[in-house]
Amino acid sequence: MSSLFAIFISAILINNFVLYYFLGICPFLGVSAKAESAFGMGVAVIFVMTIANTVSWLIYEFILIKFGLEFLQYLVFILVIAALVQIVEMFIRKFSPPLYKALGIFLPLITTNCAILGAALFMISKKYNFLESVFYGFAGGVGFTLVILIMAGIREELEYSDVPVVFKGAAITLVITGILALIFMGFGGLMSA
Amino acid sequence: MREIILACLTLGITGFGFALILAFLSRKLKVEEDPRITQIFNMLPSANCGACGFAGCRGFAQAVVSEGKIFSGCIPGGQELNEKIAQIVGVKSQAVTKTKTIAVCRCGAQSGEKKESAKYEGPLTCKATHIIGSLDCTYGCLSYGDCVKACPTGAISLKNKRIYVDTKKCIACGKCIVACPRKLFELVPVLESIGAYAVCCNNTEKLTNVKKVCSRGCITCGICTKVNDSPYYLKNNLSRIDFTKTKEETPLRNGKEKCPTKCIFKLE
Repeated sequence: MSSLFAIFISAILINNFVLYYFLGICPFLGVSAKAESAFGMGVAVIFVMTIANTVSWLIYEFILIKFGLEFLQYLVFILVIAALVQIVEMFIRKFSPPLYKALGIFLPLITTNCAILGAALFMISKKYNFLESVFYGFAGGVGFTLVILIMAGIREELEYSDVPVVFKGAAITLVITGILALIFMGFGGLMSA
Repeated sequence: MREIILACLTLGITGFGFALILAFLSRKLKVEEDPRITQIFNMLPSANCGACGFAGCRGFAQAVVSEGKIFSGCIPGGQELNEKIAQIVGVKSQAVTKTKTIAVCRCGAQSGEKKESAKYEGPLTCKATHIIGSLDCTYGCLSYGDCVKACPTGAISLKNKRIYVDTKKCIACGKCIVACPRKLFELVPVLESIGAYAVCCNNTEKLTNVKKVCSRGCITCGICTKVNDSPYYLKNNLSRIDFTKTKEETPLRNGKEKCPTKCIFKLE
């Protein structure tokens, strides 16, 4: 139980996917302009990450290890993620058109979100068991949502500030991301290990 | 060799498995879409202006097909297009507004006429200056050009701290209405071969308070309402025009000429 909690805190604050590993920067920059769409993207990432980790772990454990094909993990995980995103998209389109409209283009974009693949690969290299892996995926998604929401909040305020012309747009966003990453480094002391 | 075959088989089978699941689900979860939506969408101008009241051209096409009426129609598309759309969904295109409308800014004061008692430094957008701002009139145009940026056709221009709308370029999409934090824009009908008239003041304060901040503001004297067949009327300490009453230009022009502060404008 304590290890689950440690994984949870670590994936959200200490080893945050965006600010520690710098994974998933593309959607992070693309969708953080408005808090509303940022939240939608975050929820989609939580959802896909949890399911992708679950399925990836099962396939890794019961197919890849069994045949001694661990080196195939990259290919298989990408396959799993791509297929899962497609399935999730179909389900959302059928059962929740408003959510489908809100997520729009970003749902298919999750396919190429490296944070998702990163989560799947990290859980293998960290040798997590099934429950830990699922938790890790969920916590990673929550961490992503947290950071993208913080960023969206800052960027909404940024609209009113006098940014020098050369810094406008992506430049200032990346500068802020760097500062945020520095701030999140402070969480490193939360856990010793 | 064994490893290669195993790897190919594993990947192939997983891939095939997922492909089967996807194929099955895409049948099972198919969302039926009316082909007329795409048909109408392709006919629309794709300006995504939102003048129809829906989110973009696609939203309009969907609403038209699902509701079976064409609402106020596609304004940039004009009468001809709306009749075609109406034919597709099988209704008459009565709802289409025949009179052309344009957007006008209800503040006609230039720099020098509207008083500014503070020097403003900060973000140069109307949205930001609306809260603090340097303009004494809390109703008037801030003249930082949020509407100029919002206009998809480039019809709005800013000269001498006053907003000008090009009646030929304006498609009455209403984007400026949304963009202006002081809600100064309004759609007014253009009278054929005459042009549009508008009272360009939005200050609902009483005479003395208006006079304090602007020399061009409407002081609610009511002179314009006293000309023959006047379409002008007073409401909220402002003069307004009742467009249902006017068919000729004369009363409009008389009112405009009699206005002591010259806040009634004719747009051509």
